[in-house]
Amino acid sequence: MRAAQGGDVLALSLLMDRLAPWIARICGGIALEQADDAAQEALLQVFRDLSTLREPAALRGWARRIAVREAVRHAQRARQERGRAGGGDVDQSGAHVGGHAGAHLGGRAIDPGVAPDVRAVLAQLAPEQRAILVLRDLEGLSEDEAAEQLGVAKGTVKSRLFRAREAFVRRWSP
Amino acid sequence: MSAPERTLSWPSADVSAVARLRAIAAARPHLAYREHTIAAPFERVWSIFGDLEHGVPRFDRYVRWIRITARDGERLRLESNSPFGRFGPPMRFEAIHRPGWCVMRSFESEVGMAATPIDARSTRVAHFEGSRFLGRFGRWWFGRTIEGELETLGRLCEA
Repeated sequence: MRAAQGGDVLALSLLMDRLAPWIARICGGIALEQADDAAQEALLQVFRDLSTLREPAALRGWARRIAVREAVRHAQRARQERGRAGGGDVDQSGAHVGGHAGAHLGGRAIDPGVAPDVRAVLAQLAPEQRAILVLRDLEGLSEDEAAEQLGVAKGTVKSRLFRAREAFVRRWSP
Repeated sequence: MSAPERTLSWPSADVSAVARLRAIAAARPHLAYREHTIAAPFERVWSIFGDLEHGVPRFDRYVRWIRITARDGERLRLESNSPFGRFGPPMRFEAIHRPGWCVMRSFESEVGMAATPIDARSTRVAHFEGSRFLGRFGRWWFGRTIEGELETLGRLCEA
């Protein structure tokens, strides 16, 4: 990490191998059809500002905050543009169905046979709800940590998470 | 019989090799960075762009030869001709090299190359070069150089 911060391109390459799939997954679940652009922008910011990070141990939290912020920003902008164009409120997910997260949203087991539909279900949630789901159920953060990452009160995380899980489970049901 | 472990297939972004190289270049402001689209399949492009010993000397006029001296998976050690002429000491590089990706550094310089298929007939390529000692002048100079290298590479691949 210190070598990457010092600008060693081989260390930067190895760091990219670690960060890119992880950031791609965070952005995939939040930004959906904007996920590629959001992940690219997040990686650009992380690497551009890497040398300013004082404590290497803080890398993961710092990079996650950037990725979530970019993913929400891209998703919100797309949603606003669809609204202006008179389109629906549902994101048309272009994100690729990738690795297995092993998450159990709202304690509900998911049948792998219908797993690709997770994109369609996520697309019906607001970007802020998807961000909460990603932080709590995919990343495994506590409510305090999720609140800190999103810059909102713990109560806001709780209520958003409750609504997101409820909506997710309801929309998942046949 | 217990139910099988059920997991969730989570949507994921596609971060191409070119996008990754662009981000690494952003961490090194003195590097010159360029991208081009070449009208040739990825396999054709990488067979020249990624062939350090035989391909690179064909499009980089400052590289007369490159020799791989050690290989351990994706990690390579290389030597190339001196930038100071026939009788100068060879440059020694360490590299990470895999299909669509190559990043290398020597004591004085840094080089990166990436290629990503756009479709079956075209490929996006990215290239950076820079000197740790030349600063902004190096960025200007290498910018002109790699622009020419990518144009030559395009002509070789599209021929």
